[in-house]
Amino acid sequence: MIDYKKFLKEYDGRSIKIMEVCGTHTAEIAHNGISGMLSENINLVSGPGCPVCVTVTAYIDKLIELSKNPNNVIATFGDMLRVTGKSQNLNDVRAMGADIQMVYSPMDMLKFAAADKTKTFIFAAVGFETTTPVYALLLEEAIKNGITNIKLLTSLKTMPAVIDWVCAKKGGIDGFLAPGHVSVITGSQIFNEISEKHNIPFAVSGFNGEQILAALCALVKSCGKPNVINLYPSVVTEEGNQKAQKLVEKYFSHCDAAWRGMSVIKNSGMMLKDEYLNFDAGSVELITDQVHNPKCRCAHILIGSLKPYECPLFGKECTPQSQQGACMVSTEGSCYNYYINKR
Amino acid sequence: MKITMAHGSGGKATSDLIKNIFAKHLHNPVLARMEDSAVVKGANIIAMTTDSFVVTPLFFKGGDIGKLAVCGTVNDLAMSGAVPKYLTCGFILEESADTDDIERIVISMAMTAIEAGVIFVAGDTKVIEGKGGIYLNTSGVGFLSGNENISSANCKQGDVVILSGNLGDHHATILSARMNITNSIESDCAPLNEITKKLLENSIRIKFMRDVTRGGLATVLNEFAVSSKCCIMLQEEHIPVLEQVRGFCDILGLDPIYMGNEGKMVSIVAREDAQKALDIIRSCRYGENAAIVGEVISGEENTVLMKTSVGGTRIVPELFGESLPRIC
Amino acid sequence: MCVAVPGKVVAVNGIKATVDFKGNLVEAMSGLVSVKLGDYVLVHAGCILQVLSDEDGDMLTELFEEISEL
Repeated sequence: MIDYKKFLKEYDGRSIKIMEVCGTHTAEIAHNGISGMLSENINLVSGPGCPVCVTVTAYIDKLIELSKNPNNVIATFGDMLRVTGKSQNLNDVRAMGADIQMVYSPMDMLKFAAADKTKTFIFAAVGFETTTPVYALLLEEAIKNGITNIKLLTSLKTMPAVIDWVCAKKGGIDGFLAPGHVSVITGSQIFNEISEKHNIPFAVSGFNGEQILAALCALVKSCGKPNVINLYPSVVTEEGNQKAQKLVEKYFSHCDAAWRGMSVIKNSGMMLKDEYLNFDAGSVELITDQVHNPKCRCAHILIGSLKPYECPLFGKECTPQSQQGACMVSTEGSCYNYYINKR
Repeated sequence: MKITMAHGSGGKATSDLIKNIFAKHLHNPVLARMEDSAVVKGANIIAMTTDSFVVTPLFFKGGDIGKLAVCGTVNDLAMSGAVPKYLTCGFILEESADTDDIERIVISMAMTAIEAGVIFVAGDTKVIEGKGGIYLNTSGVGFLSGNENISSANCKQGDVVILSGNLGDHHATILSARMNITNSIESDCAPLNEITKKLLENSIRIKFMRDVTRGGLATVLNEFAVSSKCCIMLQEEHIPVLEQVRGFCDILGLDPIYMGNEGKMVSIVAREDAQKALDIIRSCRYGENAAIVGEVISGEENTVLMKTSVGGTRIVPELFGESLPRIC
Repeated sequence: MCVAVPGKVVAVNGIKATVDFKGNLVEAMSGLVSVKLGDYVLVHAGCILQVLSDEDGDMLTELFEEISEL
């Protein structure tokens, strides 16, 4: 059996840049100290793979505006609470009396809504392809049970378009650690076209340290060739979860989407279909209405062509307490890490 | 019975409350004198501390706000090397708080105080408008001999980091209740002064002792690294965490080294005393799962590092923000 | 972007299933995939995304045979 740790540590071929596009992969790479286990010639770059972090300021401001209505209850995942809008985050407005509930599952909304019909329960519906089916299921159950006081404020993103955008930036990415849980739903086949188009290999990986190292090994060995390697076969197939895909297609359609610090990327998002807009809390206008600081360099930092301190906003207008772009929002983003660890 | 503004007015309702609940269960000769202040024997050098307790829910598996208050205060004193002696407690009660709940809390405080060997010498009650909340404030006094010599300035390369037991139990208990996750995890809320007393009695050379509360092990060790200007290397595989707590952390994307505890301490001791210190802690109640989890190494000052189970090394910063469940 | 963990189905109740993660019981929706008692499943945000085809399907030994041939 190949000694993959030795292989990665001793690799002395040409300099390679590998990007992971899943926030959970970014977190696990940091958690396991993987960067330090690689040869100097293998560089890891954290891509735009955290749906919380790429949520635009206008989205947070819209949630804050909705929370000011005493008939509204905002429900959200924990990591959304500290993402700042133009000036505040959900923690700030909660401290001022807004009804903001942190939940583990959006499905909790069904219970809340049935228990209090005087209120409208709005879920901060962010996510990639892994989470969108959960929202589709939520709507399916709400309609089945005649629950009408639930709404979604959506900021749903999809993988292929943003990966294509990264490749088109020609930042010199040689391989992608493909998002394992997105692939559970979409199937590994969604990467085939991009892999062929740009001649870049993709390795679908699980999330523990050993699995990530295995995937990195596979990518180093496959550099320069198109290939989609499934190293998470216990849950990922080529076609994915087709029942989940159909449910998503029933309620959502593709659209352009705004990415924090990166502008609008065509066809990179999902939105509720017209016939289900009664469940929408105002997501439509968030496509174009975003406050984007032109000095933000996230787009360059995300592909590894600039370092955090080379961004004019770093440490000044942009800090963990007042984040501008995604790289500072994410606890594993390059800028956040540089700020906290001074490296 | 529900608390009303009358209970805080200083009249009969107040004195009945004190007599039937506080004085009844927290009784001791000092408190019985019911004077404006407690006059007690002292020591040449004393340690003092104060803390407030606002946890919800009030009652949780393994403890309650009262037990938390006694343990938290006792442990703060014990970590300075002091022998905890006297506690005070102020209750702030919102209107419509239940006297049965208050009595349950006070009984718990009384039992924990007996275990920790401390007495309540003074107390106070206030009633405010509200919806039935109960908040506690404590202060504590402990005695020092002056020979304790616990100082992070004494820290040197080779010193060993000992953790008294499993991480994350308390945080997981509170969050499980809020997130509707069913398990048998219980708060580890406990007084640690037996452990600190035995370590000092046995002349263990202690450079640092701290209870591992909010912010978790990572935050406490960063405080030490900065005050001592040292570098610490932790070993991930040696950090004790209950299997059930690990499962809980996996579900919510939490990291045990950033989770709050209420009955765990970390001590940094001279290398030569490490095994003896470990044996002492393991022989104490609440220290059965103690483990050596790291050491002071030569390296970048003011830094905590961790050798991960997969063989990498990562930087462990202090907790920034809150340790919240993640989706991402 | 997707914190998701594998657990074991210990009860099925219509479109809900109780999943055990090392002693933690969580009620998860099974509307996205059919499950039965004893299945190992991947759960994300309270929903079952997939049934594991083989609990040890990602054994590194097997994966590495594939990687060695690259």
